[in-house]
Amino acid sequence: MLEELTAGFPILSCILFLPVAGAVVLWLFDEEDMVRTSALTIALVELALSVFVLLRFVPESAAMQFTERVPWIPALGISYHLAVDGISVLFVGLTAFLTVLVVVYSWDTIRHQVKLYMMCLLALETTTMGVFVSLDLILFFVFWELMLIPSYFLIKLWGGGAERHYAALKFVLYTLLGSVFMLVGIALLDINYHQWALLHHTDQTYSFDLLDLLRVPIPVSQQLVIFWLMFLGFAFKAPVFPFHTWLPDALLEGPIGMAVVLAGLKLGTFGFIRFSIPLLPDASKSETVVMVVVGLGLCAILYGAWMALVQADFRRLLAYSSVSHLGFVVVGLFALNYQGLQGSLLTMINLGFSTAGLFFIAGFLYSRQQTTELSAFGGMAKQVPLLATFFLIIGLASIGLPGTNGFVGEFLILLGAFKAKWWFGAVAVLGVIFGAAYFLWYYERSMFGPLGAAVKGTMSDLQPREKIIAVSLSVMILWIGLYPSPFLRIMNGSIQALVDRVQQETKVSLQDNRTGRGY
Amino acid sequence: MTFSLNFALSDLLLLLPEIFLTCWLCVVLIVDFSFPRVPKERLAYLSVAGLVVTLGCLAWFDMNHVSGTLFGNMFVLDRMAIFFKIVILGATILVILASIEYVNRFTLFRGEYYCLVVMSALGMMFMVSANDLLSVFVSLEFATLGFYVLVSYLRDDLASNEGGLKFFILGVLAAGLLAYGISLVYGETGKLVFSDMASAQPTPGLIIGFLLIFAALGFKVGAVPFHSWIPDTYHGAPTPVTTFLSIAPKAAAFAILLRIFLVALGTFKPLWVVLLVAVSILSMTYANIVAIAQRNIKRLLAYSGIAQVGNVFIGLAAGTKMGNDAILFYLLAYLFANIGAFAVVIAVSQAIGTDEIEDYRGLGRRSPFLAFAMLLFLLSLAGVPPLAGFIGKLYIFVAAIKEGLYTLIVVGLINIVISMYYYLIVVKQMYINEPIDPSPIAISGPMKTVIYVGLAGTLVIGIYPQPFTDWVVSATLMFANFIGPSVTVVLPVHSLGS
Repeated sequence: MLEELTAGFPILSCILFLPVAGAVVLWLFDEEDMVRTSALTIALVELALSVFVLLRFVPESAAMQFTERVPWIPALGISYHLAVDGISVLFVGLTAFLTVLVVVYSWDTIRHQVKLYMMCLLALETTTMGVFVSLDLILFFVFWELMLIPSYFLIKLWGGGAERHYAALKFVLYTLLGSVFMLVGIALLDINYHQWALLHHTDQTYSFDLLDLLRVPIPVSQQLVIFWLMFLGFAFKAPVFPFHTWLPDALLEGPIGMAVVLAGLKLGTFGFIRFSIPLLPDASKSETVVMVVVGLGLCAILYGAWMALVQADFRRLLAYSSVSHLGFVVVGLFALNYQGLQGSLLTMINLGFSTAGLFFIAGFLYSRQQTTELSAFGGMAKQVPLLATFFLIIGLASIGLPGTNGFVGEFLILLGAFKAKWWFGAVAVLGVIFGAAYFLWYYERSMFGPLGAAVKGTMSDLQPREKIIAVSLSVMILWIGLYPSPFLRIMNGSIQALVDRVQQETKVSLQDNRTGRGY
Repeated sequence: MTFSLNFALSDLLLLLPEIFLTCWLCVVLIVDFSFPRVPKERLAYLSVAGLVVTLGCLAWFDMNHVSGTLFGNMFVLDRMAIFFKIVILGATILVILASIEYVNRFTLFRGEYYCLVVMSALGMMFMVSANDLLSVFVSLEFATLGFYVLVSYLRDDLASNEGGLKFFILGVLAAGLLAYGISLVYGETGKLVFSDMASAQPTPGLIIGFLLIFAALGFKVGAVPFHSWIPDTYHGAPTPVTTFLSIAPKAAAFAILLRIFLVALGTFKPLWVVLLVAVSILSMTYANIVAIAQRNIKRLLAYSGIAQVGNVFIGLAAGTKMGNDAILFYLLAYLFANIGAFAVVIAVSQAIGTDEIEDYRGLGRRSPFLAFAMLLFLLSLAGVPPLAGFIGKLYIFVAAIKEGLYTLIVVGLINIVISMYYYLIVVKQMYINEPIDPSPIAISGPMKTVIYVGLAGTLVIGIYPQPFTDWVVSATLMFANFIGPSVTVVLPVHSLGS
């Protein structure tokens, strides 16, 4: 059984509900500056709480920490169960960090309905946090679905593109389609638990609790069905190629703040590592699943990179590069070895800094030229040297240059992929090369070379608020790049437990995990 | 067959709520006649007062586990009947409160309106206690009689008259089918009480008889293919009547369906599961697809109601205790969301005079409260967590998955996605489009109460459902020992396993 550590104080609940409570408070204010200041304050307090959790987190441990557990709907075995472990705790910090930056970024770029925007943003933060800290599958699903509502409004009301209505609807319906399949998968897990519980005469006959479900053996044939159902849910959200078509639309048409959250927080792949792989280890390591999923991942790497190469719009380029990066994450996850899982988890965090960072850069470019089309740029490095510098730093992180965070994650993934099957790694490496090509090519054409015709003579360099964003992102990028061990130490325990669970023989696992360590 | 009506006076206590309400109805009517100068609004409050007292009496029954049967098993008062009576009375109170302003549109017979509403409620209270086929027929007709008048209450409105006529003709047809079905069943079995039929053999006559009864009840709940009266009637009827029609008769008819399928037909479960699955799939899919094309909010809600009925049928098809709990819970969630949504429709039409979805543009600016309430109600109907509708859908799906009804579940889930689309169309009009006339919308006090109650129900049931699940679980305890021939719970997946 997994040991659980409680904090004695419901700090995760505070983290979870502070933003939404703050959103309600914002409703009371009328003055826009007041709204902005309070939103920032709430986001900063949230960040402080998250940092506190990160500092108090016991590293190198597979335990669920800061556990809170209260029955919610006992008739169906649903409980309010929150906890973090090495897999999820970093995402909590990342979410709080990015929200602060988005609030700072939106300070003067959002001009109409500021109050509603900030309320949506904070509500989105609560739901995202909920996805990361929930251990009950229904609670998780509640937050997973709720996320759609603020996102829908954010894309629709503050999106810049003409097609934003279409993009918002497409985003909601696609994600919903995936998640209803996931709901069936979740229900099947519950029914499986129910049958087991009836056989073993346990007190509780229904449970959606991750820790309860982990204890119950699931026949391999059933695991496969549940795996594919949940796969659809996560794949639509991630999005994994070929379910990605909503992503470029949503990222291009929605506001920058939304794009940062959508591209920076990899909820779909988090779902794989949190639920699919530990709950369904036999299905996850079966030949078919590995081949199909890794195959899709490899396709995504190549397809995304290839598409990114020919995009003239920077945000579209970023959308496809996101697809490509997610391909890496998926390949690493389903290499199912220590390095692969560790690299994937680290890369998910990294993308929160680098891809999200590039979206901020796109926002900076957009606020200067009112577009992110390549034709509006050219030779800008001389006029906006700081912008160009940070663009380069964050961009290099995104392509995985040694010394930046991207390198550590990608290197581990490739190592894991080569260990699993040599040709997984061989194909994935191609993606790295393409990745360097599309970024550097775009960078060169927009920042260097002759001055573009549309570039205005007096373009201002980074404003103070923009500097804050760029500097804090660069600091994180270099920190993880040069000294990743604090981050790796946090994940190690949980990753090791996960690897143990996956590599256990099926039969043994049924008896063993009552006494054994880890999952 | 002889009827012997031996009962002690104390047995009549079981009928206390109904007797009290009948007397109260007469009081309201007498007050209306005797004091024609009394504002009709007072009559509304008078009726509500009577209903609240009845509700209190039922709550007391429920807490003290009062139960029993009367009149040779024709009338049963068990916890499930009490549950449905409370739901119906709750709906009636809210509908009356939501009507107060609307009633001014009627040119004549404003006072009788309230009497008719309470009379229908009374009929439905008998419906949910009906324990044999005769009392089903009598109480069902009694309840519908009031509605025939109510639907065509807008005398000068063509749509209202058309809706009323359609409702009447199809209602009478359904009554005919019901009577014919009952005669066939009685001819085959010689029994009328549900529990006596449990041992019957499935002869062709019996099957046809039950199919006819099912068709008649299908008209009442508005399931496809018996739905054809719904859109026009909902559209034409005065909106408070539509509200009432969309909730209370459906709940009452489901109470009868539960008794028929689980008590009388329990042994035929393998036969009727197919029927219910088909009706459920048809209702959900047809209604959700047609709803997309609707331009009128009342028609949209009519179709959404048909689809919701399809969802309830999923629970019925599961045919277990858990399925029943889920149905009761779902109806409770549906009650609050639907009444709330219709209350918003009434409030809006009171202010701007139309029911076109087009005219909801910019409601978010004109009345943030109404728009936000509508948003929550629609999301609850769509089944978005953590609102009541989500828990209801989840409950029903879990019950059905447990019985291995995978096709049904997949269709149901895809339908959720489709329904989300048309609910979002309304949301888009309210929040995204700019209003043509930005003047704010005033809401009357009673209407605000109704909307607040709807919001409270939707949120509380969604966030803290435990008391409600406990309630429905205990309300269907009588089905705890129901053992239908079990549908084998084997995942049809062995072909996929490698």
